[in-house]
Amino acid sequence: MTNAMDMMLNDLEALLVLKLADDKLFLGHIQSDWTGLGPILEEDIASSSMAQDDLSHALVLYEYLGSRFSIDPDVLAYERLPSQYLCCDLVTVPDDFDWAKALIRRWFFAHYAAPVLDQLALFNDSDLVERCRRLRAEESLHISYLNDWMQRLSSGSKEAIVRLQNAIDFMSDDARMLFELPGMILNVDRPSFDGREELFNEWSSSTHEILSTTNLKTNITLPTTTVKGGRNGVHADHFIAQLTEMNEVRCKDPGAAW
Amino acid sequence: MSGASNPVMNIDPSQEDQAKLAEFEQKIADGLLIEQGDWMPEAYRVGMLRMAEHHANSEIIGALPEGEWITRAPSLRRKLGLTAKVQDEVGHGQMLYRVSQDLGKPRDEMLRDLCTGKTKYHNCFNYPAPTWGDIAMIQWLIDGAAIMNQKTLADGAFGPYVRTMHRINMEEAFHFKSGEDMVLTLMSGTKSQKAMTQEAFDRWWGPSVMFFGPHDKPGCKDLPPMKWRMKTETNDSLRQRFVDRFAPAAIDLGLVIHICEKDDEGMVTSKRVDEQCVEDKETGHWGFTDPDWDEFFRVIRGNGPCNAHRLALRRFSYEQGAWVRHAIASGSTSLPPAA
Repeated sequence: MTNAMDMMLNDLEALLVLKLADDKLFLGHIQSDWTGLGPILEEDIASSSMAQDDLSHALVLYEYLGSRFSIDPDVLAYERLPSQYLCCDLVTVPDDFDWAKALIRRWFFAHYAAPVLDQLALFNDSDLVERCRRLRAEESLHISYLNDWMQRLSSGSKEAIVRLQNAIDFMSDDARMLFELPGMILNVDRPSFDGREELFNEWSSSTHEILSTTNLKTNITLPTTTVKGGRNGVHADHFIAQLTEMNEVRCKDPGAAW
Repeated sequence: MSGASNPVMNIDPSQEDQAKLAEFEQKIADGLLIEQGDWMPEAYRVGMLRMAEHHANSEIIGALPEGEWITRAPSLRRKLGLTAKVQDEVGHGQMLYRVSQDLGKPRDEMLRDLCTGKTKYHNCFNYPAPTWGDIAMIQWLIDGAAIMNQKTLADGAFGPYVRTMHRINMEEAFHFKSGEDMVLTLMSGTKSQKAMTQEAFDRWWGPSVMFFGPHDKPGCKDLPPMKWRMKTETNDSLRQRFVDRFAPAAIDLGLVIHICEKDDEGMVTSKRVDEQCVEDKETGHWGFTDPDWDEFFRVIRGNGPCNAHRLALRRFSYEQGAWVRHAIASGSTSLPPAA
């Protein structure tokens, strides 16, 4: 297992898949916690569906990696060392059950995940390409749905605008770290990673297109190549808290079937 | 739902138009459905509203104990399954609130009445779920009991509620299967998993037997709730059917049926084997010790282990979401379905 894990963690393409899978896992994990507590029953149901999509996307990507490296997808999801997770802090920062923060997080992330899936779909691996195409179709629905909510809420009350702007400001530092350069995969000559700036520009363009129809503003810049965060396995305390909670039951009886 | 005193009993049908009342009762006797636009006695409308609202409240409160375990589910598939299951419960609540809205009460008023304790929800959700084993038991025992109850409600007479029951029951069948699979997995697992499952079973067997409500009063079949087919089976017959189905299943799985004493937190402090829980070979029915009805009424009155916690969380959710509902209601774009 350790050898298989090491092989995966030293494989450039696998790491790019793992990065997105980990983001999806923790985004789905943290958003699923809203199930039953949403502000409107219909939106509770919708946001839970999207959380399930994100968890399913993580599963689909872990299954891909699992089949390549002979690792159980649940082991990938639950049993790595904290430093082996490559998710960014955006997907684990607590939203304090503030719907504005939860919405902004998902909206920032969906606009990032779509072009990343497009990049992964360029890989020379038909299995991965097919998986990414399926995920991309759902991601488009997320973007459309979340864009709609951004516009609805920001054209609603003054309080909503203030809450959304506060949430944007709160999430911005973590959002820019979506584009953190992973230290383990510094080979920027690879076509799959050439596009960091293009990815950031595409994300900025698509988010600003929506923001331009509202009174909301962002000021997010691409992080330097030397900054180290979740993409390098350097996680905030809230990541450890989320991982510990996720593992609470599984760790009680290691190796047991659940 | 069982457990709620029904105001239908307090409204005098003699005040109704007797010709219309006779026609209404004939339709029910003929097995026809009463639809939203049809004439109905006020006692029937109020009773059905009370029943659907209580059921809706139970669905969204019932989402809370399981919802607290989504983030701790021990595998990706369990996590997905539990999230979908809790989401289903919210969806059931949404459908039942729509039925209730059509009977004349705005949704926001219903949610406020729930948060303030003016209306109730099912008693069983006032018990604690301290382990993953409790989640398995809720899906197996409580959803199993709910299916038994709701299958009979689907034979009722109010069309919108009956159709909603049919839809809900299809999903509940998946929940039950999921629960059965979880219990089977745990009881086939390690020593500590089996111990955890037995402890959870001890916590949930009593509330499951109480699920169908208190003993029926004499003559209940001739009173409006059953005469008008708002409900179609007595509490006691449903309870017996539940025990007949689940007592042997539990024993087959290696579980022991106990009579338990619990503390104020709902945790078992002492237990002994329920010697009455054996099959009567002549009747085919299983015996059981009558549950502690003092506990039942104590919990209904708001003094159960988790009443305050459940309501506080529901209230927190309602208050946290107020700005979203306000923004949508005052926005310039089209509205989502009314809050």
